[in-house]
Amino acid sequence: MIYKKLAMAMLALSFVAPALYAQSASVDAAPAVTNPVDPASIQALKDMGGYLMTLKRFQVSTEMTGERVLMDGQKLQHSATAQLDIERPNRLRAGISSSRAEREIVYDGKTVALALLSKNKYATVPFTDNIGALVLALEDRYGVEIPLYDLFVWGTPEAPLDKMDSAMNAGQDFIGDDLCDHYAFRQGDFDWQIWITSGDKPLPRKLVITSRTDEARPQSVSIMNWNLKPTFESSVFKFTPAKGSTAVELQAFSGK
Amino acid sequence: MKMSFKTLFLIPLVVLVMVTFVPLAPDAEAGARGGGGGGRQVSNSNRDARANNVRGKSANNVNGNRNVNANSNTNVNANRNVNVNSNRNVNVDVDNDYNGCCGGDWDDDDDHHPLAAAAAIAVTVAAIGSLVNDVPANCVPVNYSGVVYQQCGNTWYQPQGSQYVVVNPPY
Repeated sequence: MIYKKLAMAMLALSFVAPALYAQSASVDAAPAVTNPVDPASIQALKDMGGYLMTLKRFQVSTEMTGERVLMDGQKLQHSATAQLDIERPNRLRAGISSSRAEREIVYDGKTVALALLSKNKYATVPFTDNIGALVLALEDRYGVEIPLYDLFVWGTPEAPLDKMDSAMNAGQDFIGDDLCDHYAFRQGDFDWQIWITSGDKPLPRKLVITSRTDEARPQSVSIMNWNLKPTFESSVFKFTPAKGSTAVELQAFSGK
Repeated sequence: MKMSFKTLFLIPLVVLVMVTFVPLAPDAEAGARGGGGGGRQVSNSNRDARANNVRGKSANNVNGNRNVNANSNTNVNANRNVNVNSNRNVNVDVDNDYNGCCGGDWDDDDDHHPLAAAAAIAVTVAAIGSLVNDVPANCVPVNYSGVVYQQCGNTWYQPQGSQYVVVNPPY
């Protein structure tokens, strides 16, 4: 009985399948893409960037999975987590944690402290500008990347949206319980995808970046969790060196 | 036939349900904030040397990619710091593995962080009122109340003629 039904179903499918194929093929061929950059997808990035800049006090954490490419092209995956406490314009605390890293970056508006907890070392550097400027300065001057760097760059001129080679809406998807709009971009040597919460709070919930600089195409995946009503005290932005830790001098790049 | 098929299907279903309810290891709830590292320690003593032979890695951000692949200098927004990679390697590639890859990305190992290689500084502070001909190389000019100070860590220099005098922080 079952076999008979199965056979009938397969027979039916064998008739339908070519028709399906033919149909999808003709759909593919029909509309020549005139503008590879979908303006609505660019607008979605703009809206998200604008919204991010309106957030004054928040907490965001990320779980990321990255890849390293070995000499022969084999890839190894690694993971790391980070949590950021933010109080605009000029307070930030970042905690970084992975199997081989325990770090803190603490900025109180006057001094930024970087602590390498696993090595009992820390450095302090005077700085007075806002968080966006800090993030850029740490990267440019010291080669130190803040977790979720893009969050502080989107919505500013440092994240130009006119450099896209391609932008498209990839539909909707759930990240956790959140319904998100999924967009895909090609920008220089990078393909990247972002999942932005649908509705009036366009928060990035997931970011995937694929590098085409290497034929192995290493990829990072970051999931972001948001708390827009954080309970942290302002004292979290005050850096206290861990007991027994040593102050070191963070060297700027020689070219700077 | 029908019965046995059903039974066969049930077994993995039951197993699946059981697995789902196994409580998560407490480790999964360990805080994301750095600093809690005490007690959680990994050992890489069995790690194959080939695992350190890295030619590149994934990018963590789309707006500042300047060190994605140590062998090719790729910038999405190419107008900043063309030479970041070559300079960075001076600081980072101290123990010669990772082939100069990585080091300052937030997900990189502490061993390769610019701070790891930084030497401890003497905590002596220049005496207030002392005169110097030149300020240290890492000073940052700070304009406050019309005076361009040179700030080096906790030490502030105020221009005085062709020299600098060490002063209290102006604010």
